[in-house]
Amino acid sequence: MIADKGTSAKATKTVVEAGRPLIEIQGVRKSYVTQEKTVKALAEVNLDIHAGEFMSFVGPSGCGKSTLLNIVAGLLDASEGTVLVGGEHLTKPRRDMGFMFQAPVLLPWRSVERNVMMPAEVFGLPQEEIRPKARRILTTVGLGDFLDALPSELSGGMQQRASLARVLTYEPRVLLMDEPFGALDEFTREAMNLELMRIAAETGITILFVTHNISEAVFLSHRVVVMSARPSRVAGVVEVPFEYPRTVDVMHDPQFTDLTFQIRQLLGESV
Amino acid sequence: MTSSTLRRFRHRRAPASSRQQISRAQRWKYRGASLLITAAILGFWELLPRTGLVSEIVLPPLHEVITALGLLLQQSTFYGHLAVTLREIMGGFLAGTIIGLVGGIGLAVWQPVKQVTYPYVVGFQAIPKIVFAPLFIAWFGYGEGSKVVMGIAIAFFPVLINTLVGLESVPTDSVKLMRSLRATSLQIFRKVSFPHALPLIFAGIKQALTYAVIGALVGEFVGASAGLGYLLDSYNYQLRIDYVFALIVVLAAIGAALYFIVEWLDNRLIYWREQ
Repeated sequence: MIADKGTSAKATKTVVEAGRPLIEIQGVRKSYVTQEKTVKALAEVNLDIHAGEFMSFVGPSGCGKSTLLNIVAGLLDASEGTVLVGGEHLTKPRRDMGFMFQAPVLLPWRSVERNVMMPAEVFGLPQEEIRPKARRILTTVGLGDFLDALPSELSGGMQQRASLARVLTYEPRVLLMDEPFGALDEFTREAMNLELMRIAAETGITILFVTHNISEAVFLSHRVVVMSARPSRVAGVVEVPFEYPRTVDVMHDPQFTDLTFQIRQLLGESV
Repeated sequence: MTSSTLRRFRHRRAPASSRQQISRAQRWKYRGASLLITAAILGFWELLPRTGLVSEIVLPPLHEVITALGLLLQQSTFYGHLAVTLREIMGGFLAGTIIGLVGGIGLAVWQPVKQVTYPYVVGFQAIPKIVFAPLFIAWFGYGEGSKVVMGIAIAFFPVLINTLVGLESVPTDSVKLMRSLRATSLQIFRKVSFPHALPLIFAGIKQALTYAVIGALVGEFVGASAGLGYLLDSYNYQLRIDYVFALIVVLAAIGAALYFIVEWLDNRLIYWREQ
């Protein structure tokens, strides 16, 4: 089992390779049956993800990295294989795992604050208990002045911040992110990446991050999983040794360039 | 930030932007022009019968219609007829809306039922409902009941279709988000699907209101012993065209008043609507 929430929240980010991994992906395959044929989306995937780890998944579009993320989220059933979370078989979505989409997916009729409080409402937690926390997290993501704003009054970046605040408010152990900043402009994306890294380092949350941006993956992750084109396999796992949390300076490190090149080669071989 | 969200944003913080002032000036121009048209029509109405080109029996001059309206509003029997028609409209509207809402939710939630019954619903809509008016009077009598049924028959459909379409157009990501939180079907319906469908449902309700007015009047024309439609029909029979026009004015006012009530409710309830 994983360390309890109280200690993991404060613990500094160190990836412990020893002990049982938090998430074990074992022999997971996925195929879709259409009328004419069976399409293999995922050929076998085996991976261990440790508590507190930031792991990115890169690969050509349509390679099944989102499919894999959806399976780990419990939103999609694997055709074969199993996913274990904290040693337990995953059969349906878990409330200690949060999912974040490429789109902010805010409810347009709810204020920013009420959007952020929605998960707590679904869980049946008392509003008075959650509200202070929701406000605190909204303030840390820079939306403290927009509690009563409707989503349509916010920019795309601000909407995605609200979406991040929503998932952080219920303190999941694992954050599953499907190209969360893919629709944002370069400047906003960089700011969001730094924000995310700071949160990851502070809370010790485990993050699975799907992206098609190689330098984003290297910058953020402890390990980058390179996936091949369909039917998808793991083409390689690249470790990123830079100390955590990082600053944008690491992007100018020669080793950073080496790592991105290494990933590019893995991608090239797999196509 | 897209330019349209930016604009909306500024709109809220600084309502007196120059952009809005220009459009306000323009709006007054348009209002002036449309008032001019109204004045021209009313002027023609007054003058045309006097020229002798149109018989005063066919088209009584405006002042006679106004006089008739004044006299009508002083009759105590008029208010009895008004009450009958209002009851019929409200009955058809409310029952039609509830049936449409429940039916639309039922079809959206329960796919097998939709597959089986949807062709009948669409088929029923293809029938011009006026043909049922004599039948409804035979079945439900000369009183208010047959008019309410007529109203329901035409008013339920736009609510049903809009409810169904609204509930079926919920963004998949929103549902997926709720599923990732392990929300129950009822929670997904209450917190996501239904509010999402609400703007479309309201558009259907607005239509239902106009249809309920038509239902009540058609029912009264075909066979009734009370109501504004009955009154209009009897004045027409007596060639009291001035009273016919006076009643048309009353009915137009009822239609407009009801519409504005629903419009007002719509704006209050659906405050998040784009634009």
